[in-house]
Amino acid sequence: MKKISRYILVFITILAFAVAIPKLYWLAFEKPIQAPLVMYSCIDDGFMIQYYDQEFIRTDTKGNIYTRDEFELKLPLFYIRQLLINGTMPDTIKGVAMDVHEISRTKSSYRYRPLYKNAPDPGLYPLFESESGRANLEMPLDYFRIKERMEFVIASSNKVDERKTQMFTTVLNNRGFVFPSKMIAGLPTTRKTIDEGYIVIDDADQMFHVKMVEGEPYVKKVDVPEGLKFKRIECVDFKDRKYYSYLISDANELYILTQDDYELIKWPVEDFNPEIEELRIYGDLFNYTITLKGPNYLNITVLDDKYNKVDQYYDSWTALSETKAGKAAAFIFPAEIRMTDANSSFVNFYFERTKGFLWLILNVLLMAIHYTIIRKNGFKLKRNLIDFTVILITGIYGFLAVNFFQNKFFD
Amino acid sequence: MYKSVFYKEWIKTKWFLILLSLIGLLAVGNIFLKVQHNITFNGANKYWYLILFQNQLYFKSLKFVPLLIGLTIALIQYIPEIMDKRIKLTFHLPINEDKILLIMLGYGTFGLVVSFGLIFSFFSIMSSHYFGKEIVDAAIISVLPWFLAGLAAYFLAALVILEAIWKYRALYFIAAASFLLLFFEGGIAGSYSPVNFKLIILTLLISISLIFSAYRFRKGEM
Repeated sequence: MKKISRYILVFITILAFAVAIPKLYWLAFEKPIQAPLVMYSCIDDGFMIQYYDQEFIRTDTKGNIYTRDEFELKLPLFYIRQLLINGTMPDTIKGVAMDVHEISRTKSSYRYRPLYKNAPDPGLYPLFESESGRANLEMPLDYFRIKERMEFVIASSNKVDERKTQMFTTVLNNRGFVFPSKMIAGLPTTRKTIDEGYIVIDDADQMFHVKMVEGEPYVKKVDVPEGLKFKRIECVDFKDRKYYSYLISDANELYILTQDDYELIKWPVEDFNPEIEELRIYGDLFNYTITLKGPNYLNITVLDDKYNKVDQYYDSWTALSETKAGKAAAFIFPAEIRMTDANSSFVNFYFERTKGFLWLILNVLLMAIHYTIIRKNGFKLKRNLIDFTVILITGIYGFLAVNFFQNKFFD
Repeated sequence: MYKSVFYKEWIKTKWFLILLSLIGLLAVGNIFLKVQHNITFNGANKYWYLILFQNQLYFKSLKFVPLLIGLTIALIQYIPEIMDKRIKLTFHLPINEDKILLIMLGYGTFGLVVSFGLIFSFFSIMSSHYFGKEIVDAAIISVLPWFLAGLAAYFLAALVILEAIWKYRALYFIAAASFLLLFFEGGIAGSYSPVNFKLIILTLLISISLIFSAYRFRKGEM
């Protein structure tokens, strides 16, 4: 029992130190790594790159160096406000007259991060009135959940609105909805131009568009090709109203769901990993620039306005593990445990083993130090074999733990 | 004999236990006064929105209350034992020494569980009164590690207090504090759901850590 109690304390200390010590280490030594800004130029039909190395360097894939003004001129739709101030905005590009309203209407910007997907589900959502006739959207008085039925809970009384619940549940049943829902995707905010309700996946993996029009349910079943399932749906609110949402399929393909005709169109984007990669989509009059950003790389695909692939670019930079601090960490820590993860909103024990075996050097060194400590105190070596094993495996954490909670009485 | 040890602990701690439980209940009461106030001023629908989508943690003032209760009870229970090394007297009683300590620890744990149970139940009932199930569930997931931290702090404080040598006391304190940090990562409501069960297991495991310190104590390491 005494021995067990000691090993429990050792174990808990190892766990706590494997979280705390690397955290302090990175707090002290981590340097910011700036990803380059890569944009597609509609002037050159090529990539423009800006990165920081003591100063901002602006270049392209051919290695030409640009001044700030020259760089901005190559990306007129992105830097339009600056070019208008400078009076250098071209009148036409590719034979298309530059109309400020049209440029603004076709401009879209969107960002997905893995921690949006790996997050607790709120479970309750506000259903806005889509056609209130008012300029601004208003927050409804109730929130809905979709379990055995589509239930509306009135916030002020925390009671179910039976009439509204019945009304929506009946319509959903009539359209073949199988309760409960597997996913509810929408933009639960009043800060959008118009409301398009929610895209809902039911228990039979069918897709529905659900909104409220003049107090009545609007439910539209979307035809999804056999076998196509989605792990994430991100609704958007763009002025050109071309599509309701971006969708990430179970096979990590990227789709859009077109507005009004509910067509699912697959975009030619390859190798997307929504668990660790950020996705940025920048759309303008001519192109969509789709950036997949991993821990130390960018993978960019450019589409034209008909969603055909026109160009691709890959860039990478020094990974954290390759920096001086990273290399030193690989020597000190056999592994790290983090309670939080950049790609998840959940708290957990995120265990990450250090690449390579450099840390074994330190571990063996610590075993030698531990040996001298034991000898100095006159303990029996045989009784400390487990402690040596602990140090060999867990290194610095184990060394501290077994010496914090010393073994001396068990001789 | 067990009963009398239990009774002795009760005499030592009863007023603190009652007072601290009341403070805990008042802290919960205060949370829902604020909730009531916010609902009156902003409207329930807007307040629900802040909680659901803007990560407003209406219960966050509860964060260190269980920790405070656990630590205080440990101090009240174990400080008198090390003053003049009184616990050595206890160890002369005709019962197994580990058992005596486990009874003391068991008493403290039981007292804390009752106290935390009251505070937690009051919090859950009040939350369910004002909010939908989804909001309440996420809140419970978020406050649970704080209550576990209260128990863990109690066990670890006992360990630190009963250690006789200051050097080791300091080292245990560092280890204990690092461990307790795991319960306070913050994050959005409901973010602790994958880890709560693991934290429960860890808290149960360290409940017997006191035996280590007691062993050192009675073996005469001063």
